[in-house]
Amino acid sequence: MKKRIWFLGLVPVLALLCLVVSAGRAAAAAPSGDELALDPAWKAPDQEAARERAREVVPFVDAVVDECQLCRQQRLRDMGLGVKDIVHSYFLLDSPVIKQREDHYGPVRFMHTKHAAQIQDCAVCHHARPADKAAKETVRCSACHQESFRADTPDRLGLKAAYHQQCIACHRDEAKGPMDCAGCHPKNVPDHKELVKLPANPQPWDVTAECLRCHPGAGEDMLASSHWLWRGHSAYTLDHQKKVIHGKGTTAINNF
Amino acid sequence: MNLTRRGFFRIAGAAGAAGAAAAASPSPEVRAAAVPDDPYGCLVDLTRCIGCRKCEQACNRVNALPEPERSFEDPTVLNRLRRPDARAFTVVNRYFPGRLDAGNQLVPTFVKIQCMHCQEPACASACIVGALTKKENGTVHYDVSKCIGCRYCMVACPFEIPAYEYHDPVTPRVMKCTYCYERISQAGGLPGCAEICPTEAITFGRRKTLLEVARKRIRDNPVQYLDHIYGEREVGGTSWMYISGIAFGKLGFIDVPETPTPRLSEKIQHTLFAYLWSPILLYGLLGGIMWTSRKRGPHSEAEEGDRR
Repeated sequence: MKKRIWFLGLVPVLALLCLVVSAGRAAAAAPSGDELALDPAWKAPDQEAARERAREVVPFVDAVVDECQLCRQQRLRDMGLGVKDIVHSYFLLDSPVIKQREDHYGPVRFMHTKHAAQIQDCAVCHHARPADKAAKETVRCSACHQESFRADTPDRLGLKAAYHQQCIACHRDEAKGPMDCAGCHPKNVPDHKELVKLPANPQPWDVTAECLRCHPGAGEDMLASSHWLWRGHSAYTLDHQKKVIHGKGTTAINNF
Repeated sequence: MNLTRRGFFRIAGAAGAAGAAAAASPSPEVRAAAVPDDPYGCLVDLTRCIGCRKCEQACNRVNALPEPERSFEDPTVLNRLRRPDARAFTVVNRYFPGRLDAGNQLVPTFVKIQCMHCQEPACASACIVGALTKKENGTVHYDVSKCIGCRYCMVACPFEIPAYEYHDPVTPRVMKCTYCYERISQAGGLPGCAEICPTEAITFGRRKTLLEVARKRIRDNPVQYLDHIYGEREVGGTSWMYISGIAFGKLGFIDVPETPTPRLSEKIQHTLFAYLWSPILLYGLLGGIMWTSRKRGPHSEAEEGDRR
């Protein structure tokens, strides 16, 4: 009888163990497409080829065909142009046209095929074709949009503005994709390998002190937060946004 | 001639009226010494501005201005309306004029403020030492070496732009947008703000070209824009111009007349004092009165009594 009770106690323990293992496996499974796009460490298979393409400056197209958006959309459909015709599915937007003026941000990773598949209308971005009959029907942005404020084409947007107006307007209207600066392009952060000076075998507090040497604001923010004070608004608690003030410093024993 | 006190005023008054009439009749078109024919300009398209404040940041960098109290990336700065000051030549303000988006959220409109670089600048007209001048490329240029710190420019400016370094008692300067004079004087040079703007909300170019660009944008998209280019005619035209989809009055723009601000003051000054005719006339008149009355000695007590 005593032996049987011992066995019954083992059942929940085993069940819990199975749960933990399966959850761990699920977490290790491949992340979805969206997570890939936002993962800063992700590299496209053709990353180096894309980097090469980003360096190219194509000849400037000064004249384009004047046609309405709907006409163009329909014409491209009639031609049967679509996702299957895409030559390069991935671009790094890092044109020297922009970088000759400023270089504050890293390249933007643009998934051409992904956007095309989502929008299903090439004419949204490829909104005009070169007047030259021999040119391809769809050309890259930087064929028509290069330096800003060219005297010969004063009403033509520069490349940087063309990107920003197109991307921001669409991301906003569709409520999809990143909306903040860093969502699309990482800042050119100086290499911290050179900046960080630590003793040979650093203690955790050595690291914190070293971070605070250049980022004192981050420390002050932390000292004002509920993580430090154990009291204050639980701002991001579902259904309790900025309504309840609690924390270990006030009402709760442990609200984590 | 028996010149009485009352008689004197009568003659003087008549002469003054004649002088004023003479001043009014020859009215040459008074125009500021040098209004550049085709200066550089900037066209700010308020429908394009996303309020990122990169222009403020670039302005701070290229003009080596002091660090701001709050970071350029702190969006809470936009919670209150600001003015350009001695530490910032340009600021971006956020307005909610009342439009709603698809999600019933108020749509913000952002307005960048800086010196408008008037075609006929009131500050340059008011400046008594010529420290402020209108340059051929459109800049209203400030020369600190000439400035005596009278701050008349601050009073004169119809847009209330120039600021003063009150915190510096020894070498204070008048502070306002320089139009990046040195930068745009070089070939291909751009003002810091226009160069950094990610959406080309600021378009840089020749003023005449920009007016055409602005008219084309309004013509091509009459729903998006009001048919008004702020700065085309305001105070006689400015080098910085704005187009918008929202009435300018709702966005903090000052309702200024189309007459250049210095027109009246300069007209008065240039007509009244041209060739010193008015002082010559006045002193001539006074001299004439003295001449006609010179033979009469002091009035006798009897005469004085008579008149009373």
